[in-house]
Parts: sequence; structure tokens; C-alpha cells
Amino acid sequence: MLVRRLQIQNFGKISDEELTLSPGLNVIYGENESGKTTIHTFIRCMLYGLQRSRGRGARGDDFTKYEPWENPGEYGGILWISKEDHDYRLTRSFARERSMEELFCETTGEILDIDEGDLEELLGGISETVYENTVSVAQLKSVTGKELIQELQNYMISYQGTGDASMDLNRAMQMLKMTRKGYMTAEEKRKKALEAERNKLESSFNYTYREIEELNQKQKTMGEKHAEGKTAAEAERKQYEKRILSLKQTIKMLRYAALGTAGFALLLAVLLPVVLPSFSWLWILAVLAGGISAGGIFLFSGSYGEEISRVQKSLVMLKKREDKLEWNAESISERMIEKRTVLDNLRQEIQAFDEASLEPSQAQKETEAINLAIEIMEHLTGDFRVGIGDRLRQRMSEILSEITDGKYEEVLISPDFQIRINTENRIVSLESLSRGTLEQIYFALRMAAGELLCGDEVFPVILDDVFGMYDEDRLAAALHWLYKEPRQVIISTCSKREAEILKREGIPFKEILLG
Amino acid sequence: MKFIHLADVHLGAVPERGSALGEVREGEIWKTFRRVIESIHDDPVDLLFIAGDLFHRQPLLKELREVNYLFSTIPSTMVFLMAGNHDYLKKNSFYRDYPWAENVIFFDEEEMSCAKAGDLDVYVYSHSYERKEIPERLYDRVRPGNEPGLHILMAHGGDQSHIPFDYRTLSTSGFDYVALGHIHKPQIFPGGRAAYPGSLEPLDRNEDGSHGYLKGTFENGEVKLSFFPAACRSYVNVSLNVKEDTTQFDLEDRLKELILEKGKNNLYLVSLKGRRSPDTVFLPERLMELGNVIEVRDDTRPAFQLGELERRYSGTLVGSYIAAFREKENLTEVEEKALYYGLTALLETNNVSQKIANTKLRKDQ
Repeated sequence: MLVRRLQIQNFGKISDEELTLSPGLNVIYGENESGKTTIHTFIRCMLYGLQRSRGRGARGDDFTKYEPWENPGEYGGILWISKEDHDYRLTRSFARERSMEELFCETTGEILDIDEGDLEELLGGISETVYENTVSVAQLKSVTGKELIQELQNYMISYQGTGDASMDLNRAMQMLKMTRKGYMTAEEKRKKALEAERNKLESSFNYTYREIEELNQKQKTMGEKHAEGKTAAEAERKQYEKRILSLKQTIKMLRYAALGTAGFALLLAVLLPVVLPSFSWLWILAVLAGGISAGGIFLFSGSYGEEISRVQKSLVMLKKREDKLEWNAESISERMIEKRTVLDNLRQEIQAFDEASLEPSQAQKETEAINLAIEIMEHLTGDFRVGIGDRLRQRMSEILSEITDGKYEEVLISPDFQIRINTENRIVSLESLSRGTLEQIYFALRMAAGELLCGDEVFPVILDDVFGMYDEDRLAAALHWLYKEPRQVIISTCSKREAEILKREGIPFKEILLG
Repeated sequence: MKFIHLADVHLGAVPERGSALGEVREGEIWKTFRRVIESIHDDPVDLLFIAGDLFHRQPLLKELREVNYLFSTIPSTMVFLMAGNHDYLKKNSFYRDYPWAENVIFFDEEEMSCAKAGDLDVYVYSHSYERKEIPERLYDRVRPGNEPGLHILMAHGGDQSHIPFDYRTLSTSGFDYVALGHIHKPQIFPGGRAAYPGSLEPLDRNEDGSHGYLKGTFENGEVKLSFFPAACRSYVNVSLNVKEDTTQFDLEDRLKELILEKGKNNLYLVSLKGRRSPDTVFLPERLMELGNVIEVRDDTRPAFQLGELERRYSGTLVGSYIAAFREKENLTEVEEKALYYGLTALLETNNVSQKIANTKLRKDQ
């Protein structure tokens, strides 16, 4: 693909400007602030469109930056490009409310459909980010050599891992890990709280369990006591009953005796007057004695009756004692059932609690998601390294060797992406190289990366003020190399050196003066 | 004839166990049950149905005493009680030979039986669970007798392992009313002859909405039912919509207002929905401080234009990263989150965006 012509209607500070480019080397010369960068941005925006950022990002984005102060309705322009014998005209207006885009094939007279991906196809699938990373090479911002090394090193690492030099994979990973840590801490806190709750449940379970054991023990000893008490009571009862029986017998006997004595006295009273017809003291005495002793015996038997009721009272007491014994046993077994129910309920609660705790928490889900993100990212990064790795190093070595006239033959990259250079006789680290050489290494890296990322697609190379730190020899070598490459080269510069050297070296180029 | 139909009171349950609310909620279930019984003093009903799971688990003797005491304070209401799958009749259950007050009829067998409500011409058919699960279709063949009066079936279950049934069969089986229990969401079946009152208090976070009991009347063969909210609190699902310009304070204000409007006693489950600006992170803990907010789910997605980003970054890690997820059909919740986590990290640590941020910072200073 190459850019033939561009017409800037209104873009940034440029209006009504038309530039024609050659398919080979082009040098755009202009003083500082004459709009060189604007031209590069214009080409990019024509190829990839210019979206307004949404929300807070809108301030300071490219759309706002390049929106013209006057005639903002004519924000846009036309780009003529060619690819494989076909010429195309790409027209865009970025104006608010009136944006439009049109891709027209001048060779076939066909209007192509950008929404359907016709432009993407034309660009060979080179995305905007890849374009920014490879096609367009901007000036290094580093002031000191140390910063430059850092920048070079960063580019290498990011580019190898991500294919995008602006990416900082390490920091992205760090950010993910920090977020993950937050969730993991939250999860730990939750787990601790759950554990505390479970311990509570478990300790009341254990407490109830012990209570049951104690009750069991109590029941056992009570059972023994109960049995003892029961036999003792039984024996006592039998004794009492025997005593009552014997007492009753004694009373009976005494009563019989009394009756007998009374009968005897009566008999005496009847018989004596017959035996001893005359009144006799003996007669009265005998009857009286009989009567008194009968009465006495009867009264005496009454005292035995009292004894019986005493024994009977003891029997009632005994019954009460037995009842109490029985009642105690019953209340213990009732308490036992109650405690067992409590224990069962607790067991169920613990089970339900455990089931509920098994459900993944939000924090666990977030952690899982972050793990997945890290895993996929590492996997893809590995793919990029494998895909790019050695090819990048080889191509970079070739380019570096060519532009240094064989002085630096080979670029070496350690597993941690530290770059070293093999010179004719030794290996040196970047720190010991001059600023100019570092710039050359950077150039080789950018050119190699561009080729690798663009694949078969031949894209223009756009160099924005990159040769400021090159001395004459280095600059000549780089220009020779660029001229030899089979692609369109657009160099913008604020120095006249490029044009002078090109003229001196006899390299054909198109010169464009700005401003 | 008036009645109250309760079910699934789950006395003894501890919703929100592990948080400060646990004990409060445990007590509130008892309080609400008591309040329902006491309401019968002021507005007497003839019948009270408690269609199973009065207790969350095996009742203790002292708990039965408390419940029986409450029943004894409404002597002119006939109480019908069955054991459900939670408080099923275990071998040693205190339910088995508890001496209930005179106005209480407890169905103490798994086999169906019929009880007449004292002098009233009301016949109640019911039974109890003697095991945790009853997969048999016990209710399919139950039919009312021929005695003149009201015939009511009190039943518990309705899912696969708890006496499955078809409500249409039950509704047309000839009963004047089928008092159901087991399903915790209140529901009156079409025809109005069978209903679940739902759990009296919501028992977990899935039981959102209003909870209470059913009150009804029988008049000339018609049943009229109405639902009475009685729960101390409800679970309320709140979703807050997020846009790219939504801020944390904005969310807090909106939630505060919602809580004020819906009652600060309620328990709030908040979910954040919509597309947030990619560089905004919301702080759920601050929302949790605004009242009884027991859960905050951040379901917002960063407002990335995935297609646009994939195109722009095609051929680089970001592009491949998006593509790796886009290849999959129907991303799971975790995969979707992973996509956004990774993308946010990659784009936010991007040197270019960093530089823009830095220059902005410098400008602001």
C-alpha cells in the first residue's frame, strides 16, 4: 500500500493543503510547529477514522485536539492511495453530526463498503495499534542515554510480549495481582467469620453432648440406687406387712383371750351360785376378777391397734419415697430426650451451615476471574514471544549490520530481554555504547518489528524527526538502507541535512516544503 | 365462618446466621407468630390451620409448651396442626404424646385421618410427616366424606420428594378448601380453593417480597381469601443502574433515598447494573454502611467497545486477548469478568494512556 496524494480540507492548524507523494523516498521539510506531526496524524486518521472518546476521556483526545477553530464543519479531507495496480480515493469528514466516510475505487469505478470491511482488507489487516507501533516512528523523547536505554529495553519487552510497545505487561500483571489480593483478603476475612460461627455451633454441640453423657451417668447411678432403694423398700414393706399381720394376730388372740376370760367369768357367775349356793365373797371376787381381766386384756389389745396404724403410716411414707424415686428417673429420661433432640437439631444445623458455606462467595468468583485473566494473558504472551522472538533478533541484526557497515554484527537478547550487541571482537552491553549507536539500534528494532508485525503487507514507513541525533555518516547509511527497501518512505524533518545528503549520495527523492 | 391459614413458620430457624442479624431474626420469627395468635383475640376466627413446619427442626418440650400456651389463649378457635418435613415425627418426638389444649387437634400419624371440629360441622383431613421425605403421591386419592358441612384438606408438600401433586387434581377433588404448606412463596391457585400462605417470615435471601398469612371466610360454599403481610422485615432486591458518568456518591444518594422510601427495617440486596466508565471502581463497603444492606453485587461492565477495541488492537496482545474470549460462545460469569479484568489492567497500565494522564495532571496543576 502507498499514499499517493493527500488533500487536507481542515485538520488541526492546516487547511486547504494538498501534497503529492512519490512511491519511494519523500522528505517533508518544515520548521518547528509548521504541521509535520499534523500531517502524520491526518494520514492515520484518514486510514483508521477518528472517534471521539466518550465520557471523561474526551478532553484532550485527538478529535478535540485537531478539531479546527474555524469552519469545523469542514473537518476532514481526502487521501489517495494505491495497492496492487488499483487506485483508491478515501474521503472522510470528521465534523460533529455530519461525519461521513467514502471509499471509492478509481480503477474500477466502484464505491466500496467501509462497514463491510473493504477498507480493512485494503489495509491488509494492519490494525491501528500495529500501525502506531510500527509504521509510524516518532522521535525518541529520551534526553539522556540512560533514558534511551530504558526506552529501548521497554520497547523490546513490551513488543516481544504484547506486539504493542505501549503496553506494560508487568504493570498490568501487577495491577491484576493487587486486585486479586484485595479479594483474597476479603475472602479470608469471610472464612474466619464462618469458622468462628461454626465453632460456636460445634461448641454448643459438644456442650450438649457432655450434658447427655452426664445425664447418662446420672441415670446409671440413679438406676443402681433406684434398684437398691426398691429392694430395700420392698424388704421394709414386707417387714411392715409381716408386723401388721403378727400384730393383727396378737390382737385377735388377745381378743379371744378376753372373750374367753369374760366367758369364764360369766360361767363362774352362772355356776358358782349352783356350786356354792350361799352368797360368798369368793363368788363375787371370782366374777369380778374374771370381768376385770377380760376388760384388761381387751384394752391391752387396743394398744396393738395403735401400733398397727403407726406401721401403716410408715408404709405410706415408704410409698411416697418410692414414688419420688420413680419420678426422678422419669424426669431424667425426659431431660435426656430433650437434650438428644437438641443434639440432633444442632447436628442438622451444622450440616446445613456447612452446605451453605460451600457456596462460592463473590470474592472467590472474582479471584477465579482474575486467575483466568492472568492465565490467558500469560499464554498469549508466550505465543507472542514464540512467534516473534528469534525472527525479530535476526532481522534486527541484519538491519543493524547494514546501517553500521558491519561494525555491529549481531543483536543478542537474553531470556529477560536484556539487549547486548556482538561487535567484531566482543559482546557489549547497551550502557557502553554511544548515543548515536543506541539510536541506530532503536531504528533497527523499529524497522524489524514493523516488518514482522505487518507480515506480507508492504506498508509505508513514516519517520517523524527521528534522525536529529545522527551524525552525517550514520544518517547516510540509514537513508541508503531506506532507499533500498521496497516500500514508500515518508520522512519529516526540521533539518535540511536529509535532503542535502540524499542529493549528495545521488538518491532520488521527492522534496516537499511546508509552511 | 372465619379462618386463618398459616404454614412454614419455622420457629427456631436462624436466618442470616453468622451476622449480627442472626439472633434478631431468630427472635422475630417467634414474635411474629405470637402476634398472629394474639391478633385472634381482637378479631376472632373459628379455625386456625397450621399446615406443617411450624418448627424449623425437632421441637423441644419447652417450645411445645410455649406454643400450646399461646393456643390455650384462644379457646374458641379450633387449631389444626400437622408436622411437616422439617419438624417431622421422629421416633422420640415430643410431638407424639404432647397433651395439647382442648382446642388443638394434632394429626399424629402419617396416615390420613379426619377430625371434626368440635360442635362445628367442619371436617379436617390431614396427617403428619414421619420422615424427612415422602416421595409418594399421598394426596391424589383423598376425597371428602358425605357429611353435610365443610370439608377441608390440610396438606404439606408439592415438590418431587415431598408428596408431589397437581394443584388441579387437588382443586377439583371436592374439598371446600385445601390449606397447603411447604412452598415458602405465597400463592393462591386459580379457582381460589387451594393456597400456600408462604413462610410467615422470610427465611433466606431468596425469599424476597411480602410474607405473612392467609385469612379467609366460608360463606354459602364460597371461599374468600386475602393475604395479610405480617413479617417484621422483607428482603428487598434493589438494582441500581449505572452509567458512564455515575459516581460513588451518586450511588450512595440513590440507595439512601430508596431505603428511606421502602423502609429501613427491610434487608437490602443491592446489585449494580449497567456500564460504568472503565476507570471507575465502586466501593461496595460504603454502600453496606447505609442501613440493612446485606449484599452488594457489582454486575457492572466497563463501557468498552469490544469490537472497536479488537479491531484497533488486532495483532497485539490486547487484540488477541479480546479474540480469545470472543471465540467462546456464551461466556460464563467468571469468563466475562476475566475479560474485563484483563482488559482494564492492560489498557490502564498502557504507557500511552499513562502519558496522557500525566500530561493532564500537569495541566491541572
